[in-house]
Amino acid sequence: MGHQCKSTIENLFMPEEAEIVRAEFMTPAEKHFTLRLKSGKAMVFEPGQMLEVSLFGFGEIPIGFASSPTRKGTFDIVVRSVGRVSSALNRLEKGDSLWVRAPLGKGFDLEKMRGRDVLVVAGGIGLCPTRSLINYILDRRSEFGKFTLFFGTKTPKDQLFREDLAQWRISKNVEFHETVDRADENWKGNVGVITTLFKNTTISPDTVAVICGPPVMYKFVIRDLDRIGIARDRIFVDLERRMKCGVGKCGHCQMNDLYVCMDGPVFPYSKVQDREEAFG
Amino acid sequence: MPVLVQLNCDIRIIKFIYLMLKRPLTSAARGTAMSVYFLKESDLTFFLGRLLASSPVIAPVAKKSKFVFAELGSAAELRLDYDVTLLPPKTAFFPVKQKLLDFGPDGPKSAITPRKQVLFGVHFYDIKGIDMLDQLFAEGHRDNNYLANREATTVVGSSIQKVSSRAFFSTVGTDVQPRGHDAFLTHVTAGYVFETRTPKGEALISFGSFEKATAAQIEEAAGVNAAVLKRCPEKLEHSSELIAVKVRNAFANEELWTDLAKDCFSCGSCNIVCPTCYCFDVQDRWNLDQVSGTRHRTWDACLTNDFSKVSLGAGGSENFRERRGQRFRHRMMRKAAYLNEKLGGPACVGCGRCSAGCVPDIADPVRIINRIVGGRHGSSV
Repeated sequence: MGHQCKSTIENLFMPEEAEIVRAEFMTPAEKHFTLRLKSGKAMVFEPGQMLEVSLFGFGEIPIGFASSPTRKGTFDIVVRSVGRVSSALNRLEKGDSLWVRAPLGKGFDLEKMRGRDVLVVAGGIGLCPTRSLINYILDRRSEFGKFTLFFGTKTPKDQLFREDLAQWRISKNVEFHETVDRADENWKGNVGVITTLFKNTTISPDTVAVICGPPVMYKFVIRDLDRIGIARDRIFVDLERRMKCGVGKCGHCQMNDLYVCMDGPVFPYSKVQDREEAFG
Repeated sequence: MPVLVQLNCDIRIIKFIYLMLKRPLTSAARGTAMSVYFLKESDLTFFLGRLLASSPVIAPVAKKSKFVFAELGSAAELRLDYDVTLLPPKTAFFPVKQKLLDFGPDGPKSAITPRKQVLFGVHFYDIKGIDMLDQLFAEGHRDNNYLANREATTVVGSSIQKVSSRAFFSTVGTDVQPRGHDAFLTHVTAGYVFETRTPKGEALISFGSFEKATAAQIEEAAGVNAAVLKRCPEKLEHSSELIAVKVRNAFANEELWTDLAKDCFSCGSCNIVCPTCYCFDVQDRWNLDQVSGTRHRTWDACLTNDFSKVSLGAGGSENFRERRGQRFRHRMMRKAAYLNEKLGGPACVGCGRCSAGCVPDIADPVRIINRIVGGRHGSSV
């Protein structure tokens, strides 16, 4: 199995086989996979980097790492059933194989975060790539200052990683704030868009901020970060585009002159704030 | 002009000059002639016949009233009197549909299988297009699906005998010389002057009855290639540097782009016929056995509606370039600004294929750029 290419010329599009060691739906549409490379090699990556995940006969899709590289041996992804490839992937179970090309792109600038306060603002499925960073910080807690996490979803039913959330709610290592746009009868917490969480805490202007969520969320969060006085090269945005090839060739993820798959998907806001196509 | 905008322009010009200077001369060896030969008119068929016996030769041939690059069946099919081909010769390394992988129960196998071939009769503007693709497929992650085919190919250029009705190759990227060829053939009165530029090109000499060219023949060839530049029907009126700055600065002029694109069908023809376009889509196909299949790439076009669309589930989607004007603008930004800054000249070679291929005739870079930058052929915006 695996690399049986006769040609000795390296092929950018050759994926590696990964075995599913755990597969569980977190919501009716979102499935959490824990994977291990079939070759036995470790997957070396940084929080914020991504993979092209494929199933032969269906195709390939870009997905961010959802686990921290500090937790070795396996790595996680979350697949939301939205199209042909993702729906096919979500029919896979423990013991099945899928194929990956990784790591791709640029992740979070950890050097810039070390020794400083960190704020992560995650909306909906934006928690998946940021979970890689969140667990990294929690595993190396002493290297960072105050750590604050904002997480927002449309409704309580849309919350992901419930086991993690339960831990974070009681953890002394992270100041965790959560909100929903629309509450149900059991919800006791904050109701409102994610920026309503700013009033519940104090964020210092020296903080490094990370934003990942639906496109509409960015400008509102950045407005608050500007108000606090966080420098724009210390705000990191994790962007989504149609990253078809993942290696800076196919053109689908272009945002002005940048390729999101090569120059990102994580960008300092100062680098993309003048790119007209970054936030539409 | 506000100070900030002026400053921004200056920085871009400085960056542009810097990029021009640090440009990697990957094909520098192709820059100078090795030897110059002469081939009699009557000996061309014999030369090609022997070449064909040794390797496939891809060259311009007639297709009804137009021309295409195709594998020659015989030397008689060659049409060096072509004006422009329907598709550019990049098809020799980057075909419309290219297999990347085979897959089956035993996993994937790489489909990189380069074959030795000769690409014959390429006009200089198309050689410039090949140069740009060479750089773009090699930068960052090296894409051997293209580069292996490219390496295995000997490229022979040809003088232009007929100029197409929309060509402007004499006024675009004039400071960028074609480099990606191994030999160049120029039609002169008594036959052909054949200039070899690389060992691969020099190796072709053994296939024909070449003799050393005389000084007069070399001079005549230079005259032929210089004269053709004066015959372009369309003219771009500005320097590469000015085009990069002015087009980039027109980004926010929504009215302009909406107006330029108002008759656009979003068909992507301008992309598909372009020698410097290299965007593609990747798709899987099952074989009839339903257990094996192929992963391949096909040319894609940023003018089409779904090029930048992502699926959000439940029938929802987000299209990052939803309007025709945005897509039309993106093509011009790429050609005239973003890649211009990277390549040291517009990602346009003046072949005129997009102008001729566009049904509502709105894709012509000369008209678009002259309108934006201002000039005799259009009102300044």
